[in-house]
Amino acid sequence: MTFDVNVLPTHFPELIDGLLLTLRICLLSMAFGAFGALFLCLGKLSGRGSGYHVSVFVIDFFRTIPEVVLIFWIYSCLPLLFGARLSAEVCGIMALSLLVAANVAEIMRAGVQSTDQGQLEAAMSLGVPAHTIWLRIVIPPALQRMAPAFVNFMTELIKATSLLSTIGVAEMVYQANVLGNRTFAYVEFLTLVATIFFAIIFPLSLFVRHAEARLAHQKSR
Amino acid sequence: MAGKQVVIDCRNVVKRYGTFTALRDVSTRVHKGEVVCVIGPSGSGKSTLLRAFNGLEAIQVGMIEVLGLHMPGTRKELEAIRRRAGMVFQGFNLFNHMSIRENLLLAPMTALGLTRDLADDRAQNLLDRVGIGNQIDKYPTQLSGGQQQRVAIARALMMQPEVMLFDEPTSALDPEMVGEVLDVMRDLASQGMTMVVVTHEMGFAREVGDRILFMADGQLLVDQPPDVFFASPTDERQAVFLSKVL
Repeated sequence: MTFDVNVLPTHFPELIDGLLLTLRICLLSMAFGAFGALFLCLGKLSGRGSGYHVSVFVIDFFRTIPEVVLIFWIYSCLPLLFGARLSAEVCGIMALSLLVAANVAEIMRAGVQSTDQGQLEAAMSLGVPAHTIWLRIVIPPALQRMAPAFVNFMTELIKATSLLSTIGVAEMVYQANVLGNRTFAYVEFLTLVATIFFAIIFPLSLFVRHAEARLAHQKSR
Repeated sequence: MAGKQVVIDCRNVVKRYGTFTALRDVSTRVHKGEVVCVIGPSGSGKSTLLRAFNGLEAIQVGMIEVLGLHMPGTRKELEAIRRRAGMVFQGFNLFNHMSIRENLLLAPMTALGLTRDLADDRAQNLLDRVGIGNQIDKYPTQLSGGQQQRVAIARALMMQPEVMLFDEPTSALDPEMVGEVLDVMRDLASQGMTMVVVTHEMGFAREVGDRILFMADGQLLVDQPPDVFFASPTDERQAVFLSKVL
């Protein structure tokens, strides 16, 4: 077996294309998913009524089923049920957005519910208007407490994009496979892809570790 | 006190948590300029009563009027009462993600519509008055417990309240910091502030209080001036309590 790095540079453009698609899918799923998460989170926080029950069901359902099943389902079953074929990329973004919505909704809810009750009472006792309490007392510390869990989930999402290669989305892992097929340099390309994932995700993990330590330190004071 | 304006009027108040009754038929009045100290063993309902005066506890029976307004009323009415009645908590409850200045400015600017300049002046004056004027740009966790509680008092005073409610303001403090907080409260009382103080500081209650309310098991058992209260207990539980704390 040989490990010939010289094969890599000639195919960088394809790999870069794959990487850019990976990042684009992540960003779009994050954006759509976070928007949906906001509603699911509010629904769950409302604590009663149909909004609550729908939110709880959606969150539990999409957090429970395997990602691959969700991806295949949207890619293969949606066209059968509705007759419209969507591109693999759109299907992938839909599947990942649902994952983001369900998971981030839980992260948001935990952040809001960990609001310091004493601070809430202090703000109320001062007669601070309700919307100001949300904007100034509840949300900023909640965002800070959410950050580690949120970034941690982001690393999971980046990894999950590689599953989209199974439905033919030409993201980085798909490209590496194609290039391996063409050049037989599987080892080189897949190693490079692993390295790129590591280079993106490891700093994020370090941030999570650091942010969690800082939060623990704040709590102990 | 008959001729004086009633600031808090509380009649036949009952508060239950599930099957537990925290307040049993409590009635009392607080008049303008009075310092009323509420004492009693833990679990006696004194904090619950004080919190009910600020609408932080809902009551099941009876009625509470604060500054002539019926509690709790609509959300707007409750906010209006709270803007005129300051509250200080055992755990300070400062907004830890905001500087001391922001802690003080938040309510006056958003609830009263004060301009930043005006609120800033008021904040600086109040912090000077409670002895920590040089800490205005620090964060709460950078201050000692005693300093944090003085900030909390200043934060409540920013609203220029007509009555101040203190919920065991020194109970969470290290002993050497109790004095500095009591000094601020003494100063407030001497300037004629109407105050209701739930406290375990018997010395403070005796010296500063105009009336002592003694509570046990959710009942208001005794309402006496301090000299009578401490010298000649009339209630059995009061006598037992005093024998333990004095």
